[in-house]
Amino acid sequence: MTATDVLQLLADGLVLGTMYGLIAVGYTMVYGILQIINFAHGEIYMLGGFGALFVYAWVPGLRAVSLWLALPVLLVAAVVVSVAAAVAAERFAYRPLRGAPRLAPLITAIGLSLFLQQVVFNFFTLPGGSVGVTAPVPFPQLPGEPLHLGGVTLSHAALLTLVVAALAMVVLTWFVARTRTGRAMQATAQDPKTARLMGIDTDRVIVVAFAIGALLAAVACVTQGLRLGTISYNMGFIAGLKGFTAAVLGGIGNIKGAMLGGVVLGVAEALASGLLPHLPALHMFGGSVWKDVWAFVILIVVLLIRPQGLLGERIADRA
Amino acid sequence: MIPKTSTPAARALVVCGAALSLVSPFLAWTWTSRYPGNLTVYGYPGGSQLLTLAGALLAAVFTAAVLGVPGLRALAPAGAVRALRAASLAALTATWITVGAIAVDLGGVVNVEPGGWLAAGAVLLLAAGAHALPDDTVTEPPPAARLPRAAEGALITVVFLAAMYVLTYGITTDSAQDFLAFLPAAGFGVRALAAAGLTARFGALTARNRIAVAVAALASALVFPFTQTGDQYTAIADNILVFAAVALGLNIVVGLVGLLDLGYVAFLGTGAYTAALVSGSTFSTFDIGPWPFWATALLGMGVSLVAGLVIGAPTLRLHGDYLAIVTLGFGEIFRITVNNLDGTSGPRLTNGPNGINSVPNLTVFGFDLGTRHTLLGVTFGRFANYYLLLLAVIAVIVFVYARAGNSRIGRAWIALREDEKAATAMGIEGFRYKLLAFGLGASLAGLAGTVMAHLQTNAVPENYKFADTAPPNSAFLLAAVVLGGMGTVSGPLVGAALLYLIPAKFAFFSQYQMMLFGLALILMMRFRPEGLVPDRRHRLEFHDEQVAAAEARRTAAEATA
Amino acid sequence: MHRLIADAPDARPRSGRSRSLALAAPLLAGSLVLSACGTRDDGSGDDGGQEATTVTIGFDAPLSKDLAAVGLGMRNSAQLAVKQANKNELVPGVTFELAAKDDQATPNIGQQNAAAFVADTSVIGVVGAYNSSVSAAMQSTLHDATMVQVSGANTAATLTQGARYKTDPQREYDNYFRTISTDAVAAPVMAEYFFKDLRIKKIATVDDKKTYGTGIVENFTEAYEKLGGKVAVHQSINPDESDYAAVVNSVKSSGAQGVFYGGEYPQAGPLKKQLVAAGFDGPMGGGDAVKDDQLIPLAGGKSADGVCAHSDGAPVDSLDSAKSFVADYKAAGYSEGYGVFGAYVYDATTALMKAVGAAVEANDGKVGDIAQLRPKVVDAMQKVAFDGATGKVGFDAYGDSVNQVISVNCVQDGAWKNGVKIVTVK
Repeated sequence: MTATDVLQLLADGLVLGTMYGLIAVGYTMVYGILQIINFAHGEIYMLGGFGALFVYAWVPGLRAVSLWLALPVLLVAAVVVSVAAAVAAERFAYRPLRGAPRLAPLITAIGLSLFLQQVVFNFFTLPGGSVGVTAPVPFPQLPGEPLHLGGVTLSHAALLTLVVAALAMVVLTWFVARTRTGRAMQATAQDPKTARLMGIDTDRVIVVAFAIGALLAAVACVTQGLRLGTISYNMGFIAGLKGFTAAVLGGIGNIKGAMLGGVVLGVAEALASGLLPHLPALHMFGGSVWKDVWAFVILIVVLLIRPQGLLGERIADRA
Repeated sequence: MIPKTSTPAARALVVCGAALSLVSPFLAWTWTSRYPGNLTVYGYPGGSQLLTLAGALLAAVFTAAVLGVPGLRALAPAGAVRALRAASLAALTATWITVGAIAVDLGGVVNVEPGGWLAAGAVLLLAAGAHALPDDTVTEPPPAARLPRAAEGALITVVFLAAMYVLTYGITTDSAQDFLAFLPAAGFGVRALAAAGLTARFGALTARNRIAVAVAALASALVFPFTQTGDQYTAIADNILVFAAVALGLNIVVGLVGLLDLGYVAFLGTGAYTAALVSGSTFSTFDIGPWPFWATALLGMGVSLVAGLVIGAPTLRLHGDYLAIVTLGFGEIFRITVNNLDGTSGPRLTNGPNGINSVPNLTVFGFDLGTRHTLLGVTFGRFANYYLLLLAVIAVIVFVYARAGNSRIGRAWIALREDEKAATAMGIEGFRYKLLAFGLGASLAGLAGTVMAHLQTNAVPENYKFADTAPPNSAFLLAAVVLGGMGTVSGPLVGAALLYLIPAKFAFFSQYQMMLFGLALILMMRFRPEGLVPDRRHRLEFHDEQVAAAEARRTAAEATA
Repeated sequence: MHRLIADAPDARPRSGRSRSLALAAPLLAGSLVLSACGTRDDGSGDDGGQEATTVTIGFDAPLSKDLAAVGLGMRNSAQLAVKQANKNELVPGVTFELAAKDDQATPNIGQQNAAAFVADTSVIGVVGAYNSSVSAAMQSTLHDATMVQVSGANTAATLTQGARYKTDPQREYDNYFRTISTDAVAAPVMAEYFFKDLRIKKIATVDDKKTYGTGIVENFTEAYEKLGGKVAVHQSINPDESDYAAVVNSVKSSGAQGVFYGGEYPQAGPLKKQLVAAGFDGPMGGGDAVKDDQLIPLAGGKSADGVCAHSDGAPVDSLDSAKSFVADYKAAGYSEGYGVFGAYVYDATTALMKAVGAAVEANDGKVGDIAQLRPKVVDAMQKVAFDGATGKVGFDAYGDSVNQVISVNCVQDGAWKNGVKIVTVK
């Protein structure tokens, strides 16, 4: 284990973590406003990747040009599919349940998650292939050699993830703090009833929260596909779980906290899988197969010591 | 809506339809015995024709009640017309599904014989007539006359046996078409009984005779293996019982205390692995055992209890939604950990992905459950033996559930579920009671797990996932509780039976099974969140507006009266 | 027809089946009494008055979910074997039928299917399952009924040789057979190929933490180290994920010249792709579950080069029986490919039917009561020997395949090249 190896681990963890962070933002915004865990957010993320792949595979000419040129089209396709799914889910599954006991939307979310996953599993079709996807499907790759920065190798896709995440955080912070809709969101999160009385269209605010979360998740999935070379119908389950863990870790309801939580989680996982096997005491519990266990152990420890999360200020207890 | 005809015409329609519906199952519906159940015989009914016959009989009874036949009016205390409508729909759905399936399966409507056409027409007449009759629902049915205690007990036994007969029909039917006709027929049949006010009466009856209910339920469940010769359907019944036992345990945690546990299957797994390790299997990493069953069961419960306390102690102080995610995480941790403890990626304990195989059969009170036994002239195979053991396990769980639920502890749980702040303010120590429920639920699942390891002869990680197409897994367990009805005993039993049988019988769409399962959860939460067998309190909670409106109507009616 | 109708005691002698829910009689009294008035044909479909006796072969595999493609390919292959046996009158006077059940890769469903096969008195034996864990759950139920279970996909040595297969092999279930070689036979061939032919002296091993993957890596490691090779690092991936960065990094930094992966092609492809993307271009070995055409697009076409995986028997194009299997399968027009295990299942089904033939012959050419015939088929199965689609088919004292020919196949220029090396073990 050299210093370069550790740096590489940290870099991989950072990339993975920003990806978790992009997913976590969606959880945190919806939870901050509605206090529901949108368990299906992982599947909204997954749909983005398949939306992009669908357009890439079926629109003639896209495969002929460089992927750098096709990338904007792919991103738009991913965002359209994810946002449409998220808004539809809000309208038809969650909205009728407002005011119902908290168990109801959570079970709906589990149902929705299975449903969306299975729709892709059963019906997604590539040209010349059979109907449905059972195994991971290949995702297009960005051309060009990976970058070497002082012994650390970073692919184009990894760099893209970092750039997109940074950009997204800047724009989102501005949006929430400065725009009218953003302020309406803050107000609704603080106190939905009063916000409604003050003339805020809370239904619209909720839809916007779902849409923004879906947008970031879709982008995250495209970068993930580019980075790893495949996407699969069940990739949303673990990603969603990690996204939620990141959101809780950072302090649920806090957008910056979501990104921080993601990065902490990503780095922790990278160290658990890469560094732990080299430590004498814990080597038995290191490696990729144990990293999810560590992720949850960290979550439980954080919840015990600091239940409001790393950046959370208070526990929203409006149950 | 069918236009309202004058009542005499509707009555004539109903009588005519009911009579013809009763006759039609005795005719041939198709010409070839290739259709499952052999519907080619004139003279007596078979296969799905029995469903039509049952629906028609039910409809005939309520028709007689509508017509005011002396003595039969008492069979529909809350009004016969809505009961008749539901019964007619039971006959209609069963018949049309069967006739439709004949046409589809055998390639065209020419395969439907005149008897089939008659049946389809007759049930349509019946349903049309029933829906054209004016509603005669009575909001305050007269109180039932008290019967002698023995007669009440006998009545309860007969009803439980009838319910068991219906369930047995569902378990043992081996054609998807028949099961497809069975489901709506059974559903509408139950609705007919409810509309007639009979289920409410029966509810009052059971409330008075708790012990008789327990005895009757156990007795009718015991009848099942006596009706079986092969192990084919007892194997299915065993799996349903394991699933139901765990769902009942989960019902304490979710239904009574309102704690959402998304990793409950891990406690089942803890019990199963513990039992497998001390079973004396050659695959076990401990060279001990086989232990007697009582010791294995106690150990399995104990280890699961410890696991429940370890996971519950830090998390039960947290807000409810966090608990959901932490338990989900714990469920995954369990599966990953048992998958890793194989000596290469962790200490050697569970053989990792290979699991612990060749778990020997249990010996209970000197009975080897793996061999055949003859009892009252009936041979009990391996699965029938385990059926009896599982029945005992369920009886223990129901007993614990009923005792705890009706005690001071149970009331504290419900208070915490309804309003934690208020309950805490009233001096209930929320954390202690929650931890008690969590530990109790975990140890009951552990008990079921010990039997499961022996029944299935192995303990492997892939049985304990969050979501999968086959029960038990955490998502299915939660769905069984929610679908059946939270906080009741019969709810999870009904939910588990349905959730097990529906995928097992409709193998032809197994590819779409999970998709439809997801959709069913969404629709269920939207339209009937209180479950099929609702707890009264939950029903009020979910439908407060409708219930309030009904109350208001009743008060208004009383005022005018 | 369901069998819970109460018979009137005088209508028919009480058969075992009709010992029914007599207590429920009051419930549907009318129908019950009437239904007992006559006799109705059983309706199970086997009363069509054929000349030949129908014998059913049970089949169990995952036919839905992720493994559906593999399972359906296996089912089609079994179906093909049955069709051909009927056409060629493999057993005179017997028509075979295949009854396929889906186990959803879940042990308790497999066990339930086994119980259903046991109860169905037309089923003589069972072909399956795909997953070793499912087979383990089925074994005891089928053993109690002395019914043959023959698998064309289980490679876990424990199924035939017990928990201590390395030190003290014991056959617990004498009714269980398989036509595929265990990891203990195939993995040493790959070890030798990597150590001697490719001259890889230092290798990294990766598994997917599933039964098949861990088993083959364990056997590979043992053989490779015996040859003098060094395992630089052992890693496991999570097959539910596709981010293998940690594994790739540790393989790279371990200084290994090659990788051996224990697992299946859906993960092997992306792993190879990520290895190449990170600048690791050593060869990658794997078991027969890696040898699938889908591997190549998953590994990104060109970067699939250098993947080598074994298969049982001589390559398809060098064996006439294999060629005819492939041709017949194509001619039958199935929508799913026969996949990795199709040929083994085809042989397993044929072996079972041949055993039925031998048992019937010993029984004076009569099938008779199938429950009585089942143990005889188990005995006959032990002695079956013929040339199948994968080469020599037969079973040793443990029920393992006697096929000793293992082929090594490698991806070259973006396509599988079969039979790069052909080894006859011992």
